[in-house]
Amino acid sequence: MSLRLKIAVAGIALLATVTGCSKGSATKDSSESGVTTVHYLTFSAAPDHLKDLDDIRAAFEKANPDIKVQVQTAAYKDYFTQLQTSIAGGTAPDTFELDYQNFVTYAQAGSLADLAGPSAGDKTWQPSVLASSALDAFKHDGKQYALPESFSTVVLIYNKALFDAAGVAYPTPDWKWSDETAAAQKLTDKAKGVYGDFQPVTFNEFYKAVSQAGGSFLSGDGKKATFNSPQGVAAAKWLIGKPGATMPTLTEVGGTPDFDTNLFKSGKLAMWHNGNWQFDTLKDVPFGWDVVVEPGDAQRASAVFQNGVAVSARSAHKDAAFKWLSYLTTSEQSVNSRVSSAWELPPLADPAKLSGYLDIKPPANRQAVMDALGKQSLQPVVAKQQQMQDIVDKALTKAAAGEDLQKTLDDAAQQVTALLS
Amino acid sequence: MVGPKGIRKAGIVALFLLPSAVPLAMFTIAPMVAAGWISLHSWNLQSPMRWIGLDNYTRLLGDADTRDALLHTLLFLALYLPLVYVCGLALAVAFNRRFPGRNLLRSMYFLPVVTSWVVVALTWKWLLNPANGLVNHLLGLAGIPGPGWWASPGWAIPSTVIASAWKDSGFVMVILLAGLQSIPEEYLEAARLDGASAWQSFWKVTFPLLTPSSYFVVMISLISGFQVFDQIYVMTGGGPAGASRPLVEEIYDLTFRYGDAGGASALSLLLFALILVVTVVQQRLQRRWVHYV
Amino acid sequence: MSRRLLIALLAAGALFMIFPFVWTVVTSITVGGDVLTTPRLIPERAGLDGYRKLFEFLPFWRIALNSLVLAVVSTALLLITSSTAAYAFARLEFPGKNVVFVGYLATLMIPMQVLVVPLFIEIRALDLVDTYASLIVPTIASAFGVFLLRQSVAVLPRELDEAAFVDGAGHIRIFLRIILPLIRPALATYGLFAFMSSWNAFLWPLVAIRSREFMTLPLGLSTLSGQYSNQWNAIMAGSVVSIVPMLVLYALAQKHIVQSVANAGLK
Repeated sequence: MSLRLKIAVAGIALLATVTGCSKGSATKDSSESGVTTVHYLTFSAAPDHLKDLDDIRAAFEKANPDIKVQVQTAAYKDYFTQLQTSIAGGTAPDTFELDYQNFVTYAQAGSLADLAGPSAGDKTWQPSVLASSALDAFKHDGKQYALPESFSTVVLIYNKALFDAAGVAYPTPDWKWSDETAAAQKLTDKAKGVYGDFQPVTFNEFYKAVSQAGGSFLSGDGKKATFNSPQGVAAAKWLIGKPGATMPTLTEVGGTPDFDTNLFKSGKLAMWHNGNWQFDTLKDVPFGWDVVVEPGDAQRASAVFQNGVAVSARSAHKDAAFKWLSYLTTSEQSVNSRVSSAWELPPLADPAKLSGYLDIKPPANRQAVMDALGKQSLQPVVAKQQQMQDIVDKALTKAAAGEDLQKTLDDAAQQVTALLS
Repeated sequence: MVGPKGIRKAGIVALFLLPSAVPLAMFTIAPMVAAGWISLHSWNLQSPMRWIGLDNYTRLLGDADTRDALLHTLLFLALYLPLVYVCGLALAVAFNRRFPGRNLLRSMYFLPVVTSWVVVALTWKWLLNPANGLVNHLLGLAGIPGPGWWASPGWAIPSTVIASAWKDSGFVMVILLAGLQSIPEEYLEAARLDGASAWQSFWKVTFPLLTPSSYFVVMISLISGFQVFDQIYVMTGGGPAGASRPLVEEIYDLTFRYGDAGGASALSLLLFALILVVTVVQQRLQRRWVHYV
Repeated sequence: MSRRLLIALLAAGALFMIFPFVWTVVTSITVGGDVLTTPRLIPERAGLDGYRKLFEFLPFWRIALNSLVLAVVSTALLLITSSTAAYAFARLEFPGKNVVFVGYLATLMIPMQVLVVPLFIEIRALDLVDTYASLIVPTIASAFGVFLLRQSVAVLPRELDEAAFVDGAGHIRIFLRIILPLIRPALATYGLFAFMSSWNAFLWPLVAIRSREFMTLPLGLSTLSGQYSNQWNAIMAGSVVSIVPMLVLYALAQKHIVQSVANAGLK
């Protein structure tokens, strides 16, 4: 390259570096012109519901001309990396989404603002719109640190065509584990690649299975892990008994991403433990399907996952931020938008408001999603949540691979108890 | 060294070094020093840091998970380095001569280097699927029972090694090819005139003159190999049940999932010390086997 | 080994090498976009749905342009800073040279996962958060490039330098007029790697950027993965599009990497 060319490139590079110091739109703080900018970081909007969120945002800004909302999205798997780094660097977004399992960690660390103050000053705030149990879920030490935004439940999704072909009666709400196992065995035809059942062998299934068996994952005071009790062992046996028998082996499952979704959609899976977030994906499958509350054993207990939205403790615009969150969670516009686009459900006090959602078919028995709320297995959430989940996941995988079940559970319980102190 | 001495020499050295030294100092060394500072604290990235001195170090040095992670990383390195070097070298030598279609074929060997790792991992997971993958199928035809590959604790790391070496051999090929290109034809002519066989002229002439490039490949592969993460994570997730979890995955988990940035920093400094020692040893050994003209 | 056999083996191996890429392309044009258990070479139903989604979900051209400009600027800076340092280490003598070189290498020995947080705090202190500069700044210099180029300078015979000095040239002129042209293959090689590294960078841009207008391609593509499901054909379409500039660059760089043997003889 000629000398002149090199100098030109260097010059351009330098120029780019210098002009590159101007800030992006999300950071320019426009509070000078009387308009407050509130930043909102979310993982649930991308990629399918960006437009829905945008409509809600536009409606909010119209009702509040002195507030502008800047939305930022990140994929769930990268979300917490970005959020924690921005908190560490002091640039946390004013408002951000948190799933319930991470809520306690952030609340305990002091990164969330107590919403009592900002909510008192907001005339449009109507807490009665939201279910009180949902609001309570996002309290910590008695203070409200986040607002419940949405919930989803895990149900049993089943392929009616496969049941018909095998002459097995559809699952009912009274089913127990033994009924599910019996049906699954009849429905499994490995030669054809058809399986009767699918349930992941993970923490998220295990804690609820422990409840279903009549046990509890942690002790009442939350200081001790009790999932290695006989009920816990029964729950683990229930889970690890499936792969290889009525379910593909864990190896087959791990070989392809979205393995279970594909299996069900291709009509090769009779019963599928998954959540109502799949309803949209299953809209167009060529066979009939329906849902039912998951069978229990000693009792029924379903998994409910919740997302909340919080205000950063260090936000300079807490009142405006709260106004945005209250709109996002309780306004008519927001509720209607979520229900009609099946973008996870708002946890409303009056379930009648969700009738629009229940009327959408398939599946015919959408009511099961609500019924599951009634008998909930409350998710164990602690400050060291990720470690606890990793320990349990590892123990379950080892047990599934053939290691002694009681011993792996005992070891895991010991490690988890150590985390809780 | 030719040229000016004294002040003018200092000026010249500064001129040539500062464009890289200043940014590296500001944007890599400064954060490294900061990480050292963080390693003496307990920090979850959100609450204020709490001083705990060397507690992170003593805890991690005695931790079983950390020891396992170190073993996994060392195993990866021990298998990956020779494999990728030999494959890359074979390719570079093969492509060093002219033949029709050379450019096209060579580009095809480079394609995995630019293909996204997610796709490469998916491909190899399929190939090495213990139940119905192509490799076990072929092994079965030859009467050999195929191992559990990425689903088995013992074979998980080797599976990632195969996939990584496959992906990176094009990279090594390009580097070594550049090195081969810079070997003057005269030396090989002279060897041929002296009656050397192809094998002999490779070992006595080509390979020694290739050592500067080889040294680069070895050093860079060592330094990046100790920090292996994505390659293993995408294929096995560190599993099964943590059987292939490398050190950097633990560092990542400690920082962003377990709220222990202090521990992560301490672990990364321990790793740094290890890599540094290995690098310095390599640098000393350089004199023995690397020939600069 | 006979030439024919060698070419045949290489060709067979090459097919194996391009297989994942072909699979990516095929999945990207599959309607329904599910990644099947067994990769197929012919999609069941073909369509450009994946590409359409790519443009629908993302401001694709904007983020592709961002990545491109970033990669070009970064590569230019890296070539300049690496070649100058390479010359210093290969041709200049100064006290503590080896120690300084190890110091350079040391910057490669700490993973980005650990540097991200302190670096972010530093960028914040410099008031550069959410700016273009914050994306460029960690990529101005790299010990990897210094090392690679140092090796290629080191193999050049010193007689060249000495002859030039006798003719009255100083270091700067030797560097620009003699050394740089001779290490063109290494410069092209490193330029390619530097471009790739910037093009694929993920972790740092993830934390440094907040505004959508600065988003880079890897970040944009990652948002195609939802919490529970993935838009596979769009993700694969993104992969395909992502690879294209690097292939183009590789083709361009080829010309310089494969120098004719005549140039290597220096009389």
